[in-house]
Amino acid sequence: MRLVSSYLIGLIFGVGISISGMANPAKVLNFFDVAGSWDPSLIFVMGGAVVVAFLGYRVVLRRPAPVIDTKFHLPDNPRIDARLLGGSAVFGIGWGIAGFCPGGALPALGTGRVEVMIFVAALIAGIFAAKGLIALSGARAARVLRTES
Amino acid sequence: MISGPLAVLAMTGRMPVVQVPVSMPMLLVGGFIVGIGVTFGSGCTSGHGVCGIARLSRRSVAATLTFMLTTGASVYVVRHVLGG
Repeated sequence: MRLVSSYLIGLIFGVGISISGMANPAKVLNFFDVAGSWDPSLIFVMGGAVVVAFLGYRVVLRRPAPVIDTKFHLPDNPRIDARLLGGSAVFGIGWGIAGFCPGGALPALGTGRVEVMIFVAALIAGIFAAKGLIALSGARAARVLRTES
Repeated sequence: MISGPLAVLAMTGRMPVVQVPVSMPMLLVGGFIVGIGVTFGSGCTSGHGVCGIARLSRRSVAATLTFMLTTGASVYVVRHVLGG
């Protein structure tokens, strides 16, 4: 049941991303190229998605729990810290270089193009590198705490 | 997600357009940087930009404003300063 719903949700997302042009780096890069070949149309994709998601959350979160889970899993960290802003800034630099964001690239894999596979391989390598760094700094902090106490 | 384009192909008879005006080395560099950024930043365009803003999360608004600005700056540098 959970597998089926995950698949259908991914499919709907993938269809939306594919139709809207978010999986097309040429279009995405033109959206950001205000000083050059600017194509502002993607703002309607994001705006439309936010409006639909906003209304959807209103309806869904009125329920005590999801249909196939015992509770909703929502982020509860309210802190705006250096890790959030730094990570976001770094993400933007990469997005501007490659033209793919993760949500655009995964559906684009379905077109079978080599460029997309190369991007996704590098993306996964970057995620593991960052996770390794986080684990390493966590282990170091724990060691420091141990020696201090 | 990966079957999305195939569903579009089945419905419209045409594969969605994916044009990549970016060289292979730049795709590798960009992909690696995106991977690091989304891990430290806990999300990307869909996570912060759509889901987070739709939940009116201040964290997500801050994250989205940040990456929209740096993406624009990055595109500007690549296209107009470096002349890619």
